[in-house]
Amino acid sequence: MKRLTTSLGLALALLVAACTDREPSSTRTVTEVADPADVIDEELMLALAQAKNFHQKAKVYRSDDNLPAATAAVRQILSLRFPANAPEAEDVRNDARALLGKLLYEQGQFDEAMRTVTEGIAQSSRESFFVANLYTVKGEIHHAKAKALAAATPPGAPEQIKAESHAAIDALEKSNLIIEALQKKLIKERR
Amino acid sequence: MGHDDDILTGRIPEPDAEPTASERAHAKTFAELVEKTLAGKTPPAMSADDRALLEVATVIRAATGKIELGSSKARSLVDDVLRHRVGEPAASASVQSITTARSAKRKWVPWAVAGVSTAVAAAAVLVLMLRSPQRVTVVEAPPPPAEWTSRPADALIGRIAPEQSGDADVRLDRIFEDRLDGYRDRLVLRGGRR
Repeated sequence: MKRLTTSLGLALALLVAACTDREPSSTRTVTEVADPADVIDEELMLALAQAKNFHQKAKVYRSDDNLPAATAAVRQILSLRFPANAPEAEDVRNDARALLGKLLYEQGQFDEAMRTVTEGIAQSSRESFFVANLYTVKGEIHHAKAKALAAATPPGAPEQIKAESHAAIDALEKSNLIIEALQKKLIKERR
Repeated sequence: MGHDDDILTGRIPEPDAEPTASERAHAKTFAELVEKTLAGKTPPAMSADDRALLEVATVIRAATGKIELGSSKARSLVDDVLRHRVGEPAASASVQSITTARSAKRKWVPWAVAGVSTAVAAAAVLVLMLRSPQRVTVVEAPPPPAEWTSRPADALIGRIAPEQSGDADVRLDRIFEDRLDGYRDRLVLRGGRR
């Protein structure tokens, strides 16, 4: 009998609990503050600051005509860790590759310079003014190589010099095409 | 026994008065009647006065609490109760009626309590199931301003002239300053939360 009375009490308590509405209204509004992953954060600012420092180092070495040290400083920018998918990372690295290509061909390392630049172009996920700049530097490298071939003793084969000159023109044209397309796109977006 | 008027309606004698022969005879007769009644041999006929007196005497005796059942009667009653408990019909009608009433009550009360408990529990479960679910409307905050976001630097840097192709440090300075402004704005407007 006691058990039955207890079960009746429990059932009544359950009913009361079920009927109790905790919220005065059935609809609750929650404002969820969006904090998208693409906002500028400390990690991005840190990577940008480090890249700035390496550029500053390279500038000092360059002013001292220490091109190998300047090259090494710029190369370190390529191994900096940026936030995943940060567009700035690609832009900063491409700009560093452009400078690196210039430093390398200024030291006569045409093949290494070309490899650095073409790698940057190949790894880019989108066309940008920085990619266009890589094509510009690529053209400079071809042009510099053609000039070096012509100035060599004995001079390089005329066909090779001509091919390098044509490659330079092609790269510069590609750079212009990218620039033109991007400018049109930016103008359209601003309207 | 034709002296009804003498006993109940006659003159009340004085307390210290000597009993009369008639009173003595009547007392003796009444004593015998009481004795017979206690022995279970109540005469079938008696005067109305004697019956009234006998009832009073029985009540007085019962009130003293000293009435005991005979051993055979007591045994019979106990046997009836035990027989009822094991499911056999009781021989005594009075015992049977009492125990039947009790058992009937015992039968329906637990079922009633259990039924009410089940009904209440079922009602509670139904309420829980059917109660309209709490609707939560999530209002997403508007997207953050572009200045706060990580984004391509094309719009900031613009076309890179060939004579400036190696000025990566200058361009990086501009990018850094721009992103730092956005980062600071975000921190200030969000109350320092990162």
